Amino acid sequence: MNTTPLLHDINAALKALNQVILGKEEQVRLALSCLLANGHLLVEDLPGMGKTTLAHALANVLGLAYKRVQFTSDLLPADLVGSAVFDPKTTTFHFHPGPIFSTLFLADELNRATPKAQSALLEAMEEKQVSIDGETHTLPAPFFVIATQNPQSQSGTFPLPESQLDRFLLRISLGYPAATVERELLKGNKGRAALPQLSQMLNRESLLTLQKLVPQIKVSDTLLDYVQRLIARTREDELCYLGLSPRGAMALMRSAQSWALLQGRGHVLPEDVQAVFVAVVGHRIIGRKETQGEQLARHVLHSVDAIGGIGVKNSA
Amino acid sequence: MPDPGYMRRSPVTYTGMLWLLAAQLVVMLPLAFYLPVWLIPVLLFSAGWRLRVMQGHMEQPGTIGILIIGSLGIIALTVSGIPRVSLDMMASLLMLGFAYKSLEVIQRRDAMVVILTGYLLVGVLFLYSQSILAALYGVFSMTVLTASMIALQSSKSTVMLVNLRLAGLMLLLCLPLMITFFVFTPRFSPLWTFTLPSSQAKTGMTDRLTPGDIARLSQSDEPAFRVNFAGERPAQKALYWRGLVLNHFDGKTWTQFADDIDPESVKTVLKTNEYNIKNRLVKKGSGLRYSVIYEKTAQPWLFALSPVVDIQGDAAFGRDFRIMARKNVMEPLQLTLLSYPLALRDVILPPWRQQLALQLPSQGNPRSRQLAQELLAKSPTKSHFIQTVMNRYRTQDFYYTLRPPVLQTTDTIDEFLFSSRRGFCAHYAGSFVFLMRAAGIPARIVAGYQGGEWNEKGNYLTVHQYDAHAWTEVWLENQGWVRFDPTLMVAPQRIEQNLQTAVSEEGSFLEGQLLTFAKYNWLNSIRKRLDSGQYAWRKFVLGYNGETQSQLMQRLFGKLSLLKTALIIASLFFVISLLWLVSLGLARRHPQEAPEHQLYRRFCTLLEKQGIHRAPSQTPHNFAQLAASRLPALASEIQTFTNNYIQLCYSPPEDSDSHATLQRLKTRFNSLSKAIKTLRKTTGT
Repeated sequence: MNTTPLLHDINAALKALNQVILGKEEQVRLALSCLLANGHLLVEDLPGMGKTTLAHALANVLGLAYKRVQFTSDLLPADLVGSAVFDPKTTTFHFHPGPIFSTLFLADELNRATPKAQSALLEAMEEKQVSIDGETHTLPAPFFVIATQNPQSQSGTFPLPESQLDRFLLRISLGYPAATVERELLKGNKGRAALPQLSQMLNRESLLTLQKLVPQIKVSDTLLDYVQRLIARTREDELCYLGLSPRGAMALMRSAQSWALLQGRGHVLPEDVQAVFVAVVGHRIIGRKETQGEQLARHVLHSVDAIGGIGVKNSA
Repeated sequence: MPDPGYMRRSPVTYTGMLWLLAAQLVVMLPLAFYLPVWLIPVLLFSAGWRLRVMQGHMEQPGTIGILIIGSLGIIALTVSGIPRVSLDMMASLLMLGFAYKSLEVIQRRDAMVVILTGYLLVGVLFLYSQSILAALYGVFSMTVLTASMIALQSSKSTVMLVNLRLAGLMLLLCLPLMITFFVFTPRFSPLWTFTLPSSQAKTGMTDRLTPGDIARLSQSDEPAFRVNFAGERPAQKALYWRGLVLNHFDGKTWTQFADDIDPESVKTVLKTNEYNIKNRLVKKGSGLRYSVIYEKTAQPWLFALSPVVDIQGDAAFGRDFRIMARKNVMEPLQLTLLSYPLALRDVILPPWRQQLALQLPSQGNPRSRQLAQELLAKSPTKSHFIQTVMNRYRTQDFYYTLRPPVLQTTDTIDEFLFSSRRGFCAHYAGSFVFLMRAAGIPARIVAGYQGGEWNEKGNYLTVHQYDAHAWTEVWLENQGWVRFDPTLMVAPQRIEQNLQTAVSEEGSFLEGQLLTFAKYNWLNSIRKRLDSGQYAWRKFVLGYNGETQSQLMQRLFGKLSLLKTALIIASLFFVISLLWLVSLGLARRHPQEAPEHQLYRRFCTLLEKQGIHRAPSQTPHNFAQLAASRLPALASEIQTFTNNYIQLCYSPPEDSDSHATLQRLKTRFNSLSKAIKTLRKTTGT
């Protein structure tokens, strides 16, 4: 199958997104590759950094059905997945789908909700289906969740445990914009204001095709050597308390493949692994002595040799 | 990641600190027997302080605080009564610093200083004790020290046993090297000597005999010396280990000479040579060769079957047929001796020497003197008289006891012979010599040990302090000095068997000691086994000196030349290092990097010489960009090589021959290195 037009489309989509979310090329690319890798995205940032804008823009460009739920402590699972409603005309109950039945679901301030509501969402993310009253309802494909978390003001929140953070393929944070970018924003005709002008660049079928392409991106033995060195270091480094799990390692591989695809390449380079490493690994490992997972991931990335290994012939 | 500042910059963990404290305690404990005990609380104090600091409860002491604490310790040492310039003081100072240092252990480097000092202190312990127990403890301390070093190096807190096992393994690896050093290191006589602390010297035979002294020795089950016979072992009752000769009696105490002179002068007065001894002997019977290992006594007296005619080892002959050590016995001393127990000694004795052996106080003990005269008058010959006196001990009711009554009067001989009649060897020997001298027959007391315990397992004889004995020698014409033992008349079991049997009814054997193996039969075999180990230790480890070393070398390798010695040592070291290589897995071939990576690394080295360094995390592509910007002249070569490398590594074409691709990469590399060379030439000139 000729994938060139698809790649052309996705690059056009990237360009359009960057028109709206200014100066965050890397984050936008990570978000998109997360989507292509069929994973979910966790955005950790302060309020007003453009988390919602990112989600909205992605939905617009990719032609996804976008729904947003503000998570609060009184949110119930039924508020997310929907409930059976009695129909007086037919005198039967029929299922009324909740906001989760969408293709891009924005869970705003996920950590404000109770663990019960959180787990309802996480279950849906993992299984891609919900069960209500014994009936199973499959979620539409693609199903993409962007959850946001406010790292500050943790009072009255339920921080996600490590095992649940693991459900998110990537974790990114947007951060403050650069001065020139902020100037553009202040002028008022860029950013969120430009959202309505965004047109759909990809349809659902193209997106699904692209998602199927990701696992076909070639991974050489030399690259596997490098990835394994990285993984081993997260487990052996003296600053590391909890190393990367095999599931995390697989997530790293998938993200790197997806990133390579976005670059229009048929094989993975060390650059691709390095580009996604912090976003994949940062929330999955725990450091000693108050070392943040993200810092630790950077440390690991810097200390591991990008080349070398026993190579193709010797490993066989 | 090789990092020279690694040790300096890594702090000691809490677990590491605990390990260090344990190791310090283990090292310091045995030394507390010899040096001030309060050094251990000092250690606990400073380590405790540091631990509290680590927990965040206390502040690290400032410079002034350290100065105060330090000077307090030094003041305490100066007033502790240890001589200023002595081994004790040096060792105590070292211990003090060792204890204080734990307060300052912050970085790993500090901890290493403590551990290395600890190893030194393990060695210091051997200056005080060289027993097998001390050696075993030394091994234990080394293991704990090494284990704490392991604990300090690892950031993870591993299980205690794991560290100890690893440390044990490491020390085990050192064992061959240790043995090599032990066997081959040349033994030089010390260039300087210092007086070892004598406070620890064991009690041994003293140079005076006041009734009571030997009884005191009989309450000790410490070994005095051990004997290994080259041939047949003599009968138990012939084992008279002769040591001191007591000539002078002042009415109460027997001493060696009229004047109370110190052992050092005695040695000078009595010193003679082998020639002199042999001249005064008439050899009879066969010679008896045996080797003796003496325990330390801090005295020069040695004990042997008399007369000794040949000594191998560091000892001298005495004029009265005794042998003496040249220095006080401060460490176990091994000698090989040749004796002729049946030989006649001093058949001809000059009259003035006879007079010496007739000395008596001018007055006192009138009844004994009278008895001697009466018995002499009744006897036709001298030997008849001696026999009568000996028989008197047997026929009259004398008792052998270790609990003699205290003699009340100044005429001790009279009181013993006529009223108390209870005593042990010293009483019998003393009264016997008194009677001889009163009758005008030259006689003297001999002090030493009698008998010994035969160890079947080790095939050697152990003579204990409780085997101490006193007997007599009487000079007779044509026979010289003849041994008489009046104790034999009263308690034949003492001589034919041992002290324990002789006093078994009385139950006074080692009665002052509750905890002793010798008292209980069921523990005896264990005791003998332990003793056997100690004997082997003395003989083979401590007794291994320059002389035995050269003997062993000769036996093993024949005549030695310098080259031969060097060759032997070199080959031993080679074998040991080979063993290490194998056991540590260093000899195993490491999986090599693939050829393309090796080539790439050569590429990196090549560029490094041009001042372009690659960070470990730098990808080939990024590095090529950096290099190309720095070396624009080579940009295309660098790019081509990198592209080839990237292609080979990350998207190897499935159908193509990887060997050919590799060849292409090599060609690229060669052209690149050639280009660099020409570049260097042009810029260089």
